[in-house]
Amino acid sequence: MADLPRPLTDLKVLDLSEGVAGPFCTKLMGAMGADVLKVERPGQGDIARSMPPFFHDAPHPEGSGLFLYLNTNKRSITLNLEEPAGRAICRRLAAWADVLIEDFRPGAMDTWGLGYADLEQINPRLVYTSISDFGQTGPYRDYEGSDIVGLALGGLLYITGESDKPPLRMGGQPAQYFTGLSAFTGALIAVHYQEATGQGQQVDAAMMDGIAVAQMYSALTYAYKKENRGRIQDFAPMFRARDGFVGVMYRQQNWEDFCHLIGRPELVEDPRFHDTTARRANMQELNAIVGEWIKDQPKAELYHTAQAMRMPFGYICSAADLLESPQYQARGYFIQVDHPATGPLTYPGMPLRMGEIPWDITRAPLLGEHNEAVYCGQLGYSKEDLGRLRGVGVI
Amino acid sequence: MAMALEGVRILDLTQVWAGPTCMKLLGDMGAQVIKIESYKRMDTVRGEPNARPGGAGIYPDDNPGVRPWNRTGHYNDRNRSKLDICLDLTEPRGVETFKRLVAVSDVVGESFRVGVMERFGLSYQELKKVNPDIIMISLSSQGATGPERSYGSFGATLEQTAGIASFTGYLGGNPTTSGTFFPDPVVAVLGAGSIVAALRHRNRTGQGMYIDLSQRETTTNIIGEAVLDYTMNGRAWEPMGNRHRVYAPQGVYRCQGDDMWIAVTVKSDAQWAALCGVMGEPALAHDPRYADVLGRHQHHAEIDVLIEEWTQARDAFEAMRTLQQAGVPAGVALKGNQLLENPHLNARKFWDIVEHPEAGTHPYLSRPFLHSKTPGATRMPAPLLGQHTEMVLREIARLSEAEIRELAELGITSNIPIGAPEEG
Repeated sequence: MADLPRPLTDLKVLDLSEGVAGPFCTKLMGAMGADVLKVERPGQGDIARSMPPFFHDAPHPEGSGLFLYLNTNKRSITLNLEEPAGRAICRRLAAWADVLIEDFRPGAMDTWGLGYADLEQINPRLVYTSISDFGQTGPYRDYEGSDIVGLALGGLLYITGESDKPPLRMGGQPAQYFTGLSAFTGALIAVHYQEATGQGQQVDAAMMDGIAVAQMYSALTYAYKKENRGRIQDFAPMFRARDGFVGVMYRQQNWEDFCHLIGRPELVEDPRFHDTTARRANMQELNAIVGEWIKDQPKAELYHTAQAMRMPFGYICSAADLLESPQYQARGYFIQVDHPATGPLTYPGMPLRMGEIPWDITRAPLLGEHNEAVYCGQLGYSKEDLGRLRGVGVI
Repeated sequence: MAMALEGVRILDLTQVWAGPTCMKLLGDMGAQVIKIESYKRMDTVRGEPNARPGGAGIYPDDNPGVRPWNRTGHYNDRNRSKLDICLDLTEPRGVETFKRLVAVSDVVGESFRVGVMERFGLSYQELKKVNPDIIMISLSSQGATGPERSYGSFGATLEQTAGIASFTGYLGGNPTTSGTFFPDPVVAVLGAGSIVAALRHRNRTGQGMYIDLSQRETTTNIIGEAVLDYTMNGRAWEPMGNRHRVYAPQGVYRCQGDDMWIAVTVKSDAQWAALCGVMGEPALAHDPRYADVLGRHQHHAEIDVLIEEWTQARDAFEAMRTLQQAGVPAGVALKGNQLLENPHLNARKFWDIVEHPEAGTHPYLSRPFLHSKTPGATRMPAPLLGQHTEMVLREIARLSEAEIRELAELGITSNIPIGAPEEG
């Protein structure tokens, strides 16, 4: 089965990125069958190797959960692009690759002679994908970013949270993950064009652009109504249940069933709530009634009961809830990945199934694990050369 | 200008947000996207056929107009670069006509509740009989298999059931959601990429495929490290407001003006020293309480007060420029009008200005990637309901004029939604 061609079989990806966005992009490519060659700085490696969570909370370059999750299905070599000899090797690898992913500060690759204009000369087919916080052009190009800064300037931060409190970030690193997805899809669209025409190009994936696309409401609401959307939680109000939180969607098509579910059939015709407009006007009153009822209900049971009645409720799932989810279990979503530094651990798997092809998820590489295979096997250096290159800090 | 996906034809049965946005991105990049709706059941974001001003929908100047379904912002944003036909798939003639389009298409996308396509007689197995190398993608809530496959969701409830809401919230407060439907664009972009990957597979092997994408699983994929912290260490993440798990300080601070805020992240001791310098308190950089990241985490609340004392006396944009010049990551929490006016996005020509025949001219969000040789574009405004029915049936499905007339007479095609007010 492992020999079945995958969607991205034979796609050669040179991955110069680190952290979250670029590695998430190439993780997806790797799972779809691409040959991902990850280039890390000698010594420290990918910055994610120094970021928590660490296995058993013990900081170690091979024990970062962030790194282990984001770097499945890749090979790792070390290479120092600050050194001219390192850049020369990088150019050889760029000639080999179909896709290059980089996330250096905009302009850095150009100063190293590794910009798109340089590498296009070597490999006109190259899909050169640049990931950054603000893009390769524009007045903010050289600004410093972070996940929350991306959420802020992309317009999502302002609309998250409560109106009488400061804007609130979504938990985790959503802006960086989204940027990784943008790079993934942007690069594959360019690969489609490359395979049709033989031409490469540069793809510019920026976190600020991505979040602006993802938040959507603010700009659209202003463009259409000259109104700024504020921080309002009107989609799926959340209520404290007996053992956690439940999210409720009020929908006209479910309204009658909903009133019966909460044991208040008289509300079906109540003019305060009987249609969407009325419910919006009297939302606080309605939420008080619903909240009083939900507080004694068990969250997961209520969720399943409501879903069986075709009401798209939600409930707050912790990581433990996800691992116990019968749905995730039935689909085999979580997978076991063995790794020398951690032993077998449970990871989220791939979120889609593509045809009959089974996913084959391989563990993240150790730092420089494939140096010999790549430098000697692929590029033709001798083991002696390898020692010299290491000695002068190139690999 | 060259279009990357020229020659790809997609039948788009999706509705609401994720699916339509997915197909729009591919349409912007050159695919021919044919959206299929029905006058009996339009895409629900076209709103109530008899919508009145002041309701929930986003209409130009809050005016639903005579045909509100052609004027909603959400529909018009997510369905640009598409053709639109009306076809009643609950009728055999509608299904038969749809299959004629399948025979000459590359991709079929749908986001119905699991089981609906089977009821139409349009499962992947049936589509394959018409077009053996068709690619079909289902963007369902929970995936096409499993005991909860028929469950429904919206982006806000997916944030809850996929795990991300459990650690979104104010410090010490309840879990909450993003205020938008964040999982939908995540699903849209991943869906678009996987369709292109499937096209590559078909081009190389001659085989189509069925793509079963779970929106809930996709959303859990963007919190991988939180899951691993649990599986490695048994730690459940909780809301921590605007703070960062590693860097300190990080927060959102009030500025001058009405509800104006700036987000700031300090990633290193050097950035901390720079921030102290900007605030006119260089001595703070040497204060042993704040000298390293552990101290700054321990004293985060008092540092927040110091930063806000500085920001609240300043214009947010001025504060951002000053901080950025000193190398400190900072960004204004932009409101809708500020996004539209933003000099950076405008310099990057981020907005697509689109004239729509019934909604007027507006700026719309473009794409989260910019290609140097094949830049995408909104190739046409969002379609009016059923705007291209006849053209598509004639030129793509290759129906005769008599067949097209017959479908209209049978009520298989119509561009007047049920419930529309009578025109006077």
